[in-house]
Amino acid sequence: MPELAAAHQWGDLAGGLATAGPLLDAAIGAAAEGRASYADVRLSEAEELRLYAVSGRAPDERIEGNLGLGVRVLVDGVWGFASRPLRDASDASAAASDALRNARAAAAGSRERVTLPLRPAECGSYQTAAAVDPFAVDAAVRERVVADALAAATATGGVVRAQAGVNAKRSHRYFASTEGSRQEQHFVESGGMVLAIAAGDQIAQRRSYPNSFHGNTAAAGWEYVDGLRLTEQADRVGAEAVQLLSAPVADSGTADIVIGPAQLALQIHESTGHALELDRILGDEANFAGRSFIGPDAVGHLRYGSPAVNVVADATVPGTRGSFMFDDEGTRTRRTMLVTEGFITNFLSSRDSAARIGTESTAAARSDGWGFLPLCFATNVFLEPGTGSTDELLDRMGNGYYLDDNRSWSIDSQRLNFQFGTEVAWEIRNGKRTRLVRDFSYGGITPQFWGSLEASAGPAEFATFGMPCGKGEPKEWGFLSHGAAPSLFRNVRIGVA
Amino acid sequence: MPGDITHGDIMHGAVMHGAVMHGAVMHGGTMQAWAGQDRALAALEEALSASAADQVEIFVAARTAEHTRFAGERVHQPQTIIECQVMVRAVAGTGSARVAVSSLGAARDAVVAASEMARRRDGGVAAVLGGPTPGNPVPVNTVPVDTVRSNTGPHDVASYAGFGRPAGLWHEATLAWDAGARSALAGRIMESGRPAGVTSAGVLTAAITELAVATSGGQRCYAEATEAGFSLTARAGEASSYVADLGRDASALGIEPRAAEAISQAAATGEVIAVPDGVHDVVFGGLATGELIGFVPDFGFTAPALAAGIGLAATRPDAILAPPDITVADDATVEVGLPFPVDFEGTPKKRVELISAGRVGRPVSDRASAAATGGLSTGHAHIARESSPAPEAANLIMMPGGASEAQLIAGVERGLYIQRLWYNRLVDAEAGTVVGTSRDGCFLIEDGKLTTGLKTGRFTESVLGALARTDGVGSRLISQPVPNVWNGCCSAPAIRVRGFRFGSRRGKD
Repeated sequence: MPELAAAHQWGDLAGGLATAGPLLDAAIGAAAEGRASYADVRLSEAEELRLYAVSGRAPDERIEGNLGLGVRVLVDGVWGFASRPLRDASDASAAASDALRNARAAAAGSRERVTLPLRPAECGSYQTAAAVDPFAVDAAVRERVVADALAAATATGGVVRAQAGVNAKRSHRYFASTEGSRQEQHFVESGGMVLAIAAGDQIAQRRSYPNSFHGNTAAAGWEYVDGLRLTEQADRVGAEAVQLLSAPVADSGTADIVIGPAQLALQIHESTGHALELDRILGDEANFAGRSFIGPDAVGHLRYGSPAVNVVADATVPGTRGSFMFDDEGTRTRRTMLVTEGFITNFLSSRDSAARIGTESTAAARSDGWGFLPLCFATNVFLEPGTGSTDELLDRMGNGYYLDDNRSWSIDSQRLNFQFGTEVAWEIRNGKRTRLVRDFSYGGITPQFWGSLEASAGPAEFATFGMPCGKGEPKEWGFLSHGAAPSLFRNVRIGVA
Repeated sequence: MPGDITHGDIMHGAVMHGAVMHGAVMHGGTMQAWAGQDRALAALEEALSASAADQVEIFVAARTAEHTRFAGERVHQPQTIIECQVMVRAVAGTGSARVAVSSLGAARDAVVAASEMARRRDGGVAAVLGGPTPGNPVPVNTVPVDTVRSNTGPHDVASYAGFGRPAGLWHEATLAWDAGARSALAGRIMESGRPAGVTSAGVLTAAITELAVATSGGQRCYAEATEAGFSLTARAGEASSYVADLGRDASALGIEPRAAEAISQAAATGEVIAVPDGVHDVVFGGLATGELIGFVPDFGFTAPALAAGIGLAATRPDAILAPPDITVADDATVEVGLPFPVDFEGTPKKRVELISAGRVGRPVSDRASAAATGGLSTGHAHIARESSPAPEAANLIMMPGGASEAQLIAGVERGLYIQRLWYNRLVDAEAGTVVGTSRDGCFLIEDGKLTTGLKTGRFTESVLGALARTDGVGSRLISQPVPNVWNGCCSAPAIRVRGFRFGSRRGKD
């Protein structure tokens, strides 16, 4: 492991495998002793810093730390898992013991057994590049950023409530398996947000920045927060929230629309990412997260969208919440085309799910820290950009709407029938933005909708958004990223809410 | 599985429970609390002594949970997950800060760190953070609440019609429902559907939840509770059925017969058709009703919304919303769902009627928002992940009526039965509009009977409007977990709504 950058030199597990190795070995050893044919262990330490201020309340600054491990075993073709916070070295073998007990108990309910193709050991290390350690930033600087943003968000009369915040996270993640893999990854994230709510007579409108899902968080240092220019943007979203109070309600019918990157990121998440999770496709999530309209035999022949649709999963792209070297079952990530010129070309898969259809994992097994089982989550999944600017795209559209920033979202359990509302939309006439409209919504059927994609703007307009995703029982969060450039869709159903 | 346990038995059992070793999850196969009362309170006592702040409050929220997930032909995710968070809030002058760790052993360090952070912020720019009406940190709780043990049952428990006698939080039957028993049950469920071509997927959960609170103001409390829950989706082709429930006592859930009903329903459904577009009389099952009423707090029933002048409690106090038999309360003091005695601030949980006999009721609050609105906390302090601390209605209950679900269905000549809703999101808090879809186990109602199965259907409707048009309320409450809310649960009966639109809403009619 190359020397850790300063931002990663913190906590009990900063010492690399020299520190973590004995704990990993203890868990793996206990699992092997218990006759596990395969076992892996994830040992992780994480710390999150949040400073949030809500108008009318005292600000809340908090640092939350956790340290623990999760052990997964395969015994006689049956999985078992157990996790616990780490208090002392005995927790490693105790977690392995619990996992073994769960696997043995589960055999009674399992007719089908898992055959996991073994693979060679995979070792390596990774660390996020962070120019400015967000945890080293002076508290007064953090507070000033938040105070200024909150003041700006509430500067426009009519804003009745606002929130501003900054956040940072750092983590050490270690992985070991009975196949001999030993990995260490060290992450740093930084983010910020602002939200303004304006209210009038029986009406309330909201605007947020840089995204309506907890703002935005990137794999980066404090330089990312500086780049957000929160105060400037807070002033804008406060004013827009008030403008929306008197804006006309958006029409209903069908229209051409250009969807901005923040809303498109969620569209990709819900209708592309989730639909391509192989564990869902195979029925593992049928009880809660649901199934998919896409079948396990879709690769190579199912048309998902227009030829302009090229969707890639690429966790090797740095700087996002979906950036990493190894997923949470130790698979090295690589660039994977999920949709190529409109056709399904691969899935978001784990070792278990991939083995069941005779393929290899695409390194999409992610988990919510040490405490939860890895499931198939999106990683860094994005719509590849096209060419040109957003203005050129609006010109190409002529008349329609430009919309962005999600307000409400809903999609059925097969990821087929969706409906989204956006915080904001502008009417476009002859390629130019005219008036603001409120309560914009659109809906569709996934392959038809993506079939209506005509063009995307170029790389200069591409943006990524980190977001949490809920899945599994118990529900766990996967942290991931989606990206897109503004994109033009034709004849979309609007005004559906 | 053992039958019901009397209150006296619970007291005895908890005394014995206190004598066993804490800190180990499994002891001879029996699940145990992760922290335990004595260990948790001793650690917090010791940690408080390290405070260099004016005031300190600490809570320990721990959960030991075992989940048996199954799908198709296997138990694919048998899990034991232990979570523990020790959260410290320190106040120094105008400054405050929180530090959380994941072990009791680190509690003292967390107190030191939080104290330093709070002192650093005293008098700084943080003092003016808070916007137009800045608020200072609220002091910690000093109410000398006695230690609340699981064996004493919820404090301030009131009996309400239809709920029966309040009971304790601790059920040996749940502890006895171990991984082997759950896996065997999962196997039987999957097996039972197989001859009829029904595939099953679900989860069986047993857990222990703990909360300890200690403050520099002298408050000490601890509570622990068992939890049992299940959910099952049975599928035959495109036909499906769903069943779920949640409570403290595994023996009260009746899982196997209810699973059998769901499997039978899926097997008998046959072809499914699209939900007809239009306005229908709809009977929502208890789980679907729970999804709808889960939005009620968002309509302005929190103290921060009241303070901002947003929502029903602020703009339409006491207004009539629905018929008088509609009451939606947040109530963790009754034996429904997941009762629990205190919140993260150590405030006893109070029953708050958001909709009271059809009228706009009161909001839930924590100490900070109660102070801002001139009241006392209702015991709803909550800190959601990646969010600001804010009061949360964590134990919603829609009060039951007197009809069976079959009677509600019998009162519909032609309409829909909706068992499960999915991916519901708020569109307009002022109008109460929600977007979502129906999911498993939905049927046409024809001449008062369930007939043809339905595919997924989309709706965009006002929950407030639906409650206003409710003319029948079922007698049986069904509980389900509320994700992302600590000890979150929603319990509701079936309801019959006269006029609920499914399908696309064209225009603004």
